[in-house]
Amino acid sequence: MRSCFSIALLLAGAAAPSLCAAQTVDYSALADLMGEPVTTSVIGKPQRASELPASAVIITREQIARSPARDIPGLLKSFSGIDVNRWTAGQSDVAVRGGVQTYNARLLVLVDGRQVYLDHYGMTNWNLLGVALEDIQQIELIRGPASALFGFNAASGVVNIITRRPSDKASLTASAELGGHDYSRIAGALQLPFSDKVGVKLSAGRLREDERAIRAPLLAPEMVPDVQSDHVAGSVTGRLDRTEVTLDGGYAENRQSEYLPSQYISNQHYRIGHAAAGMKHDTDWGGLSFGTYANWLHADYGLTEGAPTRNPNDTAATKFSNRIIVAQGSALIRLDGNNTLRVGGEYRNNRLRSPAQFSETVSYDVGSANLMADLHPVDAVTVTLAGRLDRLSLSQSGAIVQPAFDAPSAFDRDFTRFSFNAATVVRMGETGQLRLNGGRGYQLPPLADFGLRIPIQTPSPIPVFIAGRPETRPVPVWSAEVGYNQTIGDTRLETTAFWTRTEDAIATPGDGLQLDLLLTPAPLLVSRIRAIGNYTTYGAEAALSGRYGPLSWRANYSFTHTDQTLPPVTVPAPFALSPQSTTPRHKANLELGHDAGRWYVTAIGRYTSSTRQFAFTTTPQLLLVQVDEAVALDARVGLRVRPGLELFVAGENLTLAGGAAVSPIPADRRVRGGLRVSL
Amino acid sequence: MKKRKLLGGVLLLTLPWPVGAELNVQVAARVVSFLQPPPNGAVQTAIVFEPGNSVSEADAISIERAIGGGVAAGRASIRTRRVPISSLGALGNYRAAFVTSGLRDEQAGIAAAAARGSVVTITSDQACVQAARCVVGISSTPRVQITVSRAAARAANVRFGSAFLMLVKEI
Repeated sequence: MRSCFSIALLLAGAAAPSLCAAQTVDYSALADLMGEPVTTSVIGKPQRASELPASAVIITREQIARSPARDIPGLLKSFSGIDVNRWTAGQSDVAVRGGVQTYNARLLVLVDGRQVYLDHYGMTNWNLLGVALEDIQQIELIRGPASALFGFNAASGVVNIITRRPSDKASLTASAELGGHDYSRIAGALQLPFSDKVGVKLSAGRLREDERAIRAPLLAPEMVPDVQSDHVAGSVTGRLDRTEVTLDGGYAENRQSEYLPSQYISNQHYRIGHAAAGMKHDTDWGGLSFGTYANWLHADYGLTEGAPTRNPNDTAATKFSNRIIVAQGSALIRLDGNNTLRVGGEYRNNRLRSPAQFSETVSYDVGSANLMADLHPVDAVTVTLAGRLDRLSLSQSGAIVQPAFDAPSAFDRDFTRFSFNAATVVRMGETGQLRLNGGRGYQLPPLADFGLRIPIQTPSPIPVFIAGRPETRPVPVWSAEVGYNQTIGDTRLETTAFWTRTEDAIATPGDGLQLDLLLTPAPLLVSRIRAIGNYTTYGAEAALSGRYGPLSWRANYSFTHTDQTLPPVTVPAPFALSPQSTTPRHKANLELGHDAGRWYVTAIGRYTSSTRQFAFTTTPQLLLVQVDEAVALDARVGLRVRPGLELFVAGENLTLAGGAAVSPIPADRRVRGGLRVSL
Repeated sequence: MKKRKLLGGVLLLTLPWPVGAELNVQVAARVVSFLQPPPNGAVQTAIVFEPGNSVSEADAISIERAIGGGVAAGRASIRTRRVPISSLGALGNYRAAFVTSGLRDEQAGIAAAAARGSVVTITSDQACVQAARCVVGISSTPRVQITVSRAAARAANVRFGSAFLMLVKEI
């Protein structure tokens, strides 16, 4: 990393000094200036939404406030190229351009640049982000691999959630909601400026709702708890001349029923905490940013019903403790008026402790360096090139759980991977834009895929285990796309054709009993998490959006086709992975909004074609369950009683379409009402 | 006659936006908020105009109407006061100046006065920026485009934040 910054400083010295001085990115102010959202999530420098060298979605604060959705997956589900599976009331997965599976490890999710996806399984628990919707400035989703900027796990895309910057005015935004299925939610964010240089932000939230009805023949846990989610977070930001420093911390807790990667359903309890420190400094030649953070996770898997209270009990649960420490720095250098270079470095240490793995601790260290160049060879053409080198060292320590299935030396591994992104954007007239881009990213095997070791109950007289493999390799994801965007007046057209290939996809065993017989010396049967094959998705996305006075509208369509070379999905299915079956082929969404000032209404119609999704039956047997095509209607009506106070009623899946959740468990209708305060 | 009208309409649609387009005052005010160091409180901004020049006067009236009693931009509140071309010596009392259209012949003098007073000059006349006599040019149709003259900014000792400069076109 030291050498990276030396390079950055050398390059900075070589570049002609430009005019820029102290300034960090104020998304709201920049969006107001340019008349459209601004993001840094694609290549690390501020860019207008209409000029991005990748396919992206930016959901603004205003859109969030008027949406019928009650969480981030709900906000994302009505955009093209994005599949949202709400497996249970609490558990959702977001997939970009196919590859739908539970515990999706192919999407990197960040809150203000800090990863919030959970490294033990590489998954995102959307009820454990530790951020209130009321505190979000905008949500950015980049479709396609972005590992060259963000590293491992940005294999199919990135979601960057940007919270509001501390303001120089005290403010409170809060919501209180009640609804059917015992739904209740209260959440808010408070901004307190102590001076024009120091600001404090506090946010908190509490959510409760009932689980959906899980009916036979689907397997259900003996006890199905309601969904519980709580969080509290705070930050202090100080600004001095050219420098901005932020200290940030938070705690969140969640309990819910979930489908595991094997598609077995069980009850989990998660607790997370984080502490972060960041510094941004502008110079005459660009900007420097440094940051470090630590995330802690304690997860209890397989909560049972405790006697005599019948409350969820974690005494028999399988416990995981994950801690990740990340230190990163980057320099954004303006070479001249319009060309930019970004140099970055990162170190991360990731550690998983659990009695359910090879040894007490399985960990890795990753060192990374990345370089991005954004060049304008001629006025109408932009060329963006980005590359990143990651070197990972895997290790294990502590007492080895016996009998062991691997040699300890199998965990002493190093591997190096190079990710890249390349894009060319050609401006066509004043408002047209042709884009060619592609890249290769990597999905890092989650820590559990290296060292997991869990006994499973079977009728077999010989003990059976599900286990990870220390030899598991990162999964390469290749992507190419061509897009054309055009703005005519207040109407914007976005079209994209894409191709994505995933090689050596990793899957958790289902019930196919692909077992290895080990003599330790007692005989054991081990079913391994492993790379099982390849799949390719290709398709097209088209989106139109516009505004006419108080009316706004948005329509999109996605076609996704998947070819796969994976084990068969006939019963007994050996692995719960079949993107061809689980990814909807056709999706279409239409949103209409009317904002009359005192009141507004937003309605979203969503069509999803039929799929088949994996689930265990009561037998228990892993099956592909038919999920019917669905036409769902979501709506929200709000009345602004007076400035800063709004009453609203919102509902999701008002048409009660069973397939609307794209889950083996049929979707239900969720209606809620409440008030929103902005002071 | 009909054909001529149709042709005129087509030409109107295909021709570039006229040089004398009105300044987008909301955007211009926000540009001021990205100056370094960031302005705070009331920021007196000059409207540079030429009395008797109908284009310039119309632009000045339009700017005044858009600003009204003041426009908030970041921590600053932009307030305007007219400065006739004959009083450019007073430009040093302002941090920013909105340069009205129709002042092609006066741009050299405005640039010199702005350089002496470290004033950021903002205009809708792209030619003024191309000639490095105005610091910032703003066009609004079909979408907001901001151009910054590095030479004019350097001459006036005007600095912007890096995030702002990465979003605009620097020449």
